[in-house]
Amino acid sequence: MSNGLRVVVSEDHAAPVVTVYVIYGVGARAEERGRTGFAHLFEHMMFQGSKNARKGMHFKLVEANGGALNGSTHPDFTDYFEVLPSNKLAIGLWLEADRLRGLQVTRANLDNQRDAVKQERRLSFDNRPYAGAIVERWPELAFRNWQSSHSIIGSFEDLDAATVADVRRFFKTHYAPNNAVLVVTGDVRAEEMRRLAETYFGDIPPEPRPPAPDLSEPPQTEPRNDLWRDPLAQVPAVIVGYPGPPRRSSDYYALIMLDIVLTAGESSRFHQRLVKGRRSVIQYEANLGWPFAGPADYKDPGLYGAFLLHKPEFGGGQIVAQVEEEIRAIAREGVPRRELGRARAFLRSSRVRQLQSSRNRAAALGQYELLDGHPDYLNSEIEVFLAVTPEEVRQAARRWLAPERRTVLEIVPDKPKEGNSR
Amino acid sequence: MNRSRPPRTAEFDPYRLPPVVETTLGNGLEVVLVEDQRLPLVTARLGFHAGSKFDPKELAGLSESTGALLTEGTRTRTARRIAEEVAAIGGTLKADSSPDALVLGASALADQLPKLLELMADVARNAAFPPREVALRRQNRRQELLAQRSQAEFLAAEKFVEVLFAPHPYSRQDPTLESIERLSRPGLTAFRDRHLAPNNAVLILLGALPERRRTLELIRAWFGDWKRRRVSLAPPAHFPRPKRSITLVHRPGSVQADIRVGRLAVNRAHTDYFPLLVANGILGGSTSSRLFMNIREKKGFAYDAHSALVPLKDSGVASIVTQVRNEVLEAALAGVFAEMRRLGQRGASVRELATVKNYLNGVFVIRLETQDGLASQLAGVKLMGLPLSYLERYGPRVRAVEPERLQAAAAKYFDPKAASIVVVGDADKLAAPLARFGEVAVEAAR
Repeated sequence: MSNGLRVVVSEDHAAPVVTVYVIYGVGARAEERGRTGFAHLFEHMMFQGSKNARKGMHFKLVEANGGALNGSTHPDFTDYFEVLPSNKLAIGLWLEADRLRGLQVTRANLDNQRDAVKQERRLSFDNRPYAGAIVERWPELAFRNWQSSHSIIGSFEDLDAATVADVRRFFKTHYAPNNAVLVVTGDVRAEEMRRLAETYFGDIPPEPRPPAPDLSEPPQTEPRNDLWRDPLAQVPAVIVGYPGPPRRSSDYYALIMLDIVLTAGESSRFHQRLVKGRRSVIQYEANLGWPFAGPADYKDPGLYGAFLLHKPEFGGGQIVAQVEEEIRAIAREGVPRRELGRARAFLRSSRVRQLQSSRNRAAALGQYELLDGHPDYLNSEIEVFLAVTPEEVRQAARRWLAPERRTVLEIVPDKPKEGNSR
Repeated sequence: MNRSRPPRTAEFDPYRLPPVVETTLGNGLEVVLVEDQRLPLVTARLGFHAGSKFDPKELAGLSESTGALLTEGTRTRTARRIAEEVAAIGGTLKADSSPDALVLGASALADQLPKLLELMADVARNAAFPPREVALRRQNRRQELLAQRSQAEFLAAEKFVEVLFAPHPYSRQDPTLESIERLSRPGLTAFRDRHLAPNNAVLILLGALPERRRTLELIRAWFGDWKRRRVSLAPPAHFPRPKRSITLVHRPGSVQADIRVGRLAVNRAHTDYFPLLVANGILGGSTSSRLFMNIREKKGFAYDAHSALVPLKDSGVASIVTQVRNEVLEAALAGVFAEMRRLGQRGASVRELATVKNYLNGVFVIRLETQDGLASQLAGVKLMGLPLSYLERYGPRVRAVEPERLQAAAAKYFDPKAASIVVVGDADKLAAPLARFGEVAVEAAR
């Protein structure tokens, strides 16, 4: 649109459901020192009322019209959605336009959401095993640039320091139509949507864009290690990570195929050789972008990361050695054609499964538009994945998952189980 | 246009099921087929009346482990071969156990339906429970249980069902360290033989299916010669009377209190179900509910404050769930009780009622958008013993709830005096404030 708002529409009339999704190009990595956790606190403020949709109305109106809604904060973007019965589309558009046009920021609402966020921190991080290691220590260990290494949930001290003026400034700077993408998916007509977008969003003025934060990360040339004692954990775990390739580079596609071979499903190498063969690992998760992103919304500089819960009979160092052995085997011998064939089938079917819901489609389209300028990659990228060769997978293992680029965080339970009862 | 008011929109249409075919094979296997040609995908559920309520007391977790081990080897396939064959068809194959049912879930690219049915039939009928896999399950489930027990919400959920349902088997929905040690091949085989039979099962198949005759041929080819068998009956539906109790599970160092408040409720077939469903929506079933607005948005006590209605086949649970910082436990609990009482004593406004009815009906349809969502609802309805028309009648029945019925349901099921309270947290900090509400039983975390 003329104010810079990008609009993506994808029709599917099978179910009478529509998703309105708005993604803003600002996330936790744009925060300033002394204001950790601010992007997330701000996301909460987006539900506290705007010019015509007063406090509480956002939740009430969506739900009164049979819909569901939420928002979430990521390292490089923040997104909001409403899923509604399709003849309620205008409700979602009205609400999103109203809050993009102007937030009503009050001290009382800020204080109240500060409390909610602190309580969220207690619930999801301070009271949960492994969370401190993953959210606080891991980024600090794996990144050198403060923009990437600081806590996404924020410190209590920084949350306390946030002011109404900070909220207004953040809104003015980042919540502008020219820093946003509006996606509407599901039971909607593209032509009608063109008219509706103009009606609701057309007269919201653009703002000058601030320079993007400097995320540059010095190259990692030697391994990093640390140990985290977790008083809430009862089972040891280890995190292994490596700096990942640039988004949409050929190595990006190859590394994602490599990850599927290594970790996806029960036929994967980690499952067959570590969980089954060596019986050392109990459960694991791994991804390009772990823990805050997945391959689809990964943005460099970022990590390929794996979190492995393991039996106490094994040390964290042994688990890392076993992981590296699996990587080395592929770096040396590559991947048999048949195994890569299974990875392709996994990719195709998981893609189809993921795209069934209008909300998932909207999120993927919005993220691809924001990060790549190409929502159409959602249709075309599958061909790039399927074309990755065994040799490219081998090279990705050799180049990107090399031992000198490795970061390891061992997590050990801090006290014996007996200490927990009285 | 006038931007100061939300736009007017039309009412949304009631939900209509896509065309469904229901049939029963000669061996008693119920079959439900649903056409959905949107995507080249098929989704299946093979559900058995074989949930954790059928676990012998000393073998808690047997249903769950039976499900987990179905895909770990059959008479003719190793675990590895199953995994590779599933992966090769872009498939998923995994069993899940709930209090009432054990459900084998599966999906694959549509042109792989024959192979998918072959694999489902093999693991459901011929699981071999290889000793090596059983031993690994014991080791890993033990560590997983330890990891679960390091989470306050798990401890709270575990204790809550125990307080509500004991001695009924609904009180034991998770294994114990002892029952995991007792897991054995004979026990697993016995559970399979007692419960996994065609006459105790329903097969749901939906997605881009071949034409109906061909689909039924395939189903008969893989499931038709499966022998009917005598299956065990469910434990009698006898439950304790709801009464006030307070249990504090001591978790040293907890920075907050995990709270459950609630009592036994009803299943989906009970006449109180829909009035209670609407009452629950108003009390804490959404982000515009009273608990969310007052406990979180107004008071800032909690990030999460909600109520939930969990229907089981023979009973149900109505509960309030919240986690608050230690210092505000007393105020938060008093606030929760006040909201419970207020709904029972004064009911809801016309506007609240309209809001929540729309919300319940809207999110119900949203949940049916994906194959997985629809398959789970169909399996749930069948396994609860309800007709498939339940999915279409849900909306009208929500709409038909009268304010008086809602208020009566709230007065009964959200009565603080009949509610059991479970709190997980640091007893050194929480025992005193909790004692203001009655006698507190303090227990060590497991």
